[in-house]
Order: sequence, then C-alpha cells, then structure tokens
Amino acid sequence: MTTSTRRIAGALAAATVSHPEPDAVEGTSAVVGGLPEPRRISIALEDVSKVYPNGRRALADVDLAVPDGDFVFLVGPSGAGKTTLIKLLIRDEVATSGTVFVAGRDVSRLSRREVPKLRRRIGIVFQDYRLLPNKSVRENVAFALEVTGTPGRQIRPAVERVLALVGLTAQGDQLPTQLSGGEQQRTAIARALVHEPRVIIADEPTGNLDPLISWEIIQLLLRINELGTTVLMATHNAEVVTALRRRVVALEDGRVVRDEVGGYHREY
Amino acid sequence: MLRFLAFSIRRAWQGFWRNAVMSLAATITMTLMLLMLAGLVIGLSGMDAGLRFIEQKVEVQAFIADGVPQSRIDALVAQVRALPEVSEVDYLDKQQALAQWQEQLRQQGQPDYSSETGTNPIPASIQVKLKDPHVYGTVIQTLQAAQGVVTDVLETQHVVDALLSVTGFLRTAGVVVLGLVGITVLFIVVNTIRLAVVARSEEIEIMRLVGASDAFIRWPFIFEGVLVGLLGAAVTLGILALAAQPIGQGVATLIGQVPIQFDRNLAEELILVVVGAGLALGGVGAAISVRTYLIR
Repeated sequence: MTTSTRRIAGALAAATVSHPEPDAVEGTSAVVGGLPEPRRISIALEDVSKVYPNGRRALADVDLAVPDGDFVFLVGPSGAGKTTLIKLLIRDEVATSGTVFVAGRDVSRLSRREVPKLRRRIGIVFQDYRLLPNKSVRENVAFALEVTGTPGRQIRPAVERVLALVGLTAQGDQLPTQLSGGEQQRTAIARALVHEPRVIIADEPTGNLDPLISWEIIQLLLRINELGTTVLMATHNAEVVTALRRRVVALEDGRVVRDEVGGYHREY
Repeated sequence: MLRFLAFSIRRAWQGFWRNAVMSLAATITMTLMLLMLAGLVIGLSGMDAGLRFIEQKVEVQAFIADGVPQSRIDALVAQVRALPEVSEVDYLDKQQALAQWQEQLRQQGQPDYSSETGTNPIPASIQVKLKDPHVYGTVIQTLQAAQGVVTDVLETQHVVDALLSVTGFLRTAGVVVLGLVGITVLFIVVNTIRLAVVARSEEIEIMRLVGASDAFIRWPFIFEGVLVGLLGAAVTLGILALAAQPIGQGVATLIGQVPIQFDRNLAEELILVVVGAGLALGGVGAAISVRTYLIR
C-alpha cells in the first residue's frame, strides 16, 4: 500500500464511522490549494469484536474513530476491555472480527514482518514503565531508535531533545532503579516519543503513581498532544478525567457505552 | 547492514557480560558437552585406526615345500602378483621365516627353543596381501593349483569374514553413538541457552514493543550463543591440548601392539569438530530459544 492509498483507506474509515463530537472532526484541517483536506484518522475501529480462545468475549461491536491530534481518555471498570482494545491497537492481539486501523494501517492485515513497522509509528506507555533495568535513562530512550537501525549521529540529538521535553536531561545517566516512579514513567514516555510517532497509546500510565505525580504525567501527555501527537490514554483516574473535560470513551462489558466530551462518570 | 552487524555484536557482548552468571553456566555446559564430543571423536578415530590395522593383517599365506627350486617359486609369485585382487606379494624363505618366528616369540616374552634342534622347522611361505580384504578372487585356487610347490594354503576366509562383520558393526555403532551423543548435546545446550534467554524475556518483550524487527531481536542472541560456543570451544581445546600428552601415553601402554597415532591430522580434525560444533550448537541453540518469543 502506498501512502496515498493508506490515506484514502483512513479517510474512508473515518467517513464510515459516525462521530459524536463534531468539534473534534474539524479543527486542524490543512488547507491545500483552497480545498480542505479531511483530517487524517489516527485510530479507527469498525465493528470490532475480540473473543479469546478460552471463550471470553472481551470486546463486542466496538466502533471508534480518533482523528489526528485528538486526546482521548479510555475509561471503564476493570475487565471492561480497555487493555484488550489497546492490545489490538499495538497488534499484541488480533481482532476476531472487524477492522482496526492505526496510523493508516489495517492492523489485522499486517504480516508478521510489518508489525515492527506499525509499532514504530506508535508510542506505547505502560503502567509498569517497562524499562530495561540495566540500561541508563539515555540508553533506554536510545534503544527505541537503535533497534530500528537509526544511525548513531541521528540518535544522540533525538534522545537529548525528548529528554529535555520530559525534563530528564539531568538524570540521563542514571539507572531506572535510581529514579522515582514519576521519573521512570517520564523515561518511558520519552522512549515512546523519540521516534516521533503519530499516536501515543498509554495504558494506565498513572496507575502506579501518587496524585501529584499523576498530574505531572498528564500535563506532559497534554503538552505532547499540543505538539501534534494523538494520545489515547486508558485510565481509572476519575479526578483527572473529570477535571480535564476531554473526549471520553467509556467501555463496559466490551461495548462502547459512551463517547463524548465530559467527565469520568455519565452526567445527566 | 554494517550498522546492524555492529549493533548485534555490541548487544551480544553486553548481553553476555551483563548476565555473567547465566553466560558462565552456558559456557561451562558447552565446554563439558564439547569435551564429551571430542572424547568420542578421539575414541572413534582410535578404534578406526585399530580396525584398519587389523584389516591390514588379513592376508593369504601359502607354505612352500622344502627343496623346491627357486625358479618355480619365482614363477608362482609372479603369477599371483599378476592377479587383479592382489596388492602385494612377499616371499619369505626359510631363514627369514625362522627369524620372524623368533622375533614374535621374543615379543611375546616366551622362551625360544628353536635353536635347540639345530634344524629349521619353519617352512618358506608366500604372503599375499589383498587390495580389499573381502575380495579373494582366484588367489587361493591359483596357489592351490601349484602342485608340488605349495604344501598348504592357510584358508582364513571365514575367520576374516567374521572379523570384517565385527569391525563393520563397530564402525556403524560408533557413528550411531556419535549421532545420539550429538543430539543429546544439542538438547542440553539448547536448554541451557534457553534459560539465559528466558531470564531476558522482558527485554525481548520491550524490544518487540518499541518496534524492533525480528532480525534485530534474533541476531544479538544468536551472536551471544556463538560467543558462548566459541568460548566453550577455546576452553575445550585448551583442556585437550593439556591432556593430549598423558592420554596419548596412556593409550600407548594400554594397546601397545596397535599403532594408534595422535597425529597432526587428528588434531586438525578435532579443532574443526570442536570449533564447528561450538559455533553451530551456540548459534542454533540461541536461534531455537529466541524463536519461542518471536512467533506471536
């Protein structure tokens, strides 16, 4: 698939999904030659179901469209399917039915060889940081570029740039065990960001952090979002979600029960 | 490509030293396995040399009647030599035959009474070596046909056949044992390396998540396995070099009759076998171990 056909596929995906929030679809549309180019879609799920081999139905008929530049909270009780949805997006699992588009690619149709290429277009942040314990902060961040075969002279400036962005320049040579939880998570975010992904997918990034540090992490993700990266964040943190009044997608028993700008809980 | 190689080798080196205990365990296992393999190769090549020595002993002997004119003996020798199955024909006259007999007695440490009689009871003989110990052709008939010259032909055909079937069996058994030990060694080494890989499954998981292609994950581990293999091979060869002298002497005193030589050929073969096996076992072992984590 060429880039242009991918765009068309993405746009088609966007067109077929009815979006409940008109504001989000407009916004940053680029105007080329007088014609407004429709905003590209970062994430699109169409009619997605996932049944695990043990018979458990984790997702049922999920439709979701996230345009480029959006900031979306994914909420819902434990077992509602948040983690499964994220696993589908990063192709850790494959949907039983339906299509999953991420960064312009049909994830379910990717061959094994193409999976790494998808992962390079997205940044992934986990609750448990997943840093390599025997590598320094700088090495952990550089690692994401090294494994993609980026030349060393390009790696160093890119690493320093993201370390400055997350505010860890001074701690660059420390090992993860010498850092606080918040600093470890900021390292993970720097790693997720260093290859300039279109989408950042964060699975409970504040789950292990106290409220103050959680706010720092959220502020960091908001700033990254302002710089143009789409952010999808699964969370239980009701306080943060309600305060920020961003788009909230709520899952319950594997179904999308709410998709609107608002708080953590349904508001009537 | 060069960058990929440099990355893989650097990561392999780091991986080896940052997990020193696991690497050491794998290297020791590798060394022990390679020693076992080398020991088997030495044993088999010794056995092979012994078998070849025994097979060379196979010959047809014809005893010559006393007082036969030399011209008739020469004619018979020429006739036998012309046969296509024959590689070598020796004629031992009575004096030589006696000397050989006395020599054998001395070697066996038995008293020599042959000088007591004052006469020579040992007949002259023709000794025929065959090209292939299985193929007699018409050698025996030709010798028996020489009426008046040959008194008796030492017929060893069935003895030789039995001997050959035994040596053949021993050779086959040796190859089978070598194969079985090779498979065992592969399994043990693969398991050891797998332990080292499992200890780093988290690292592999993180590599996958940040978008490392399979090659970027696989090759550092394969190089690390190769490193373990090479190190194991080096240690094994060191031990063998130190042990070669005493073992050689031990074998020499054990079976003095059979001239088994630990020559340059065997040494080269051993280096090839040990280094090759180390490389292959380490590399293949690591590749098999990482595979589990790549197939998803």
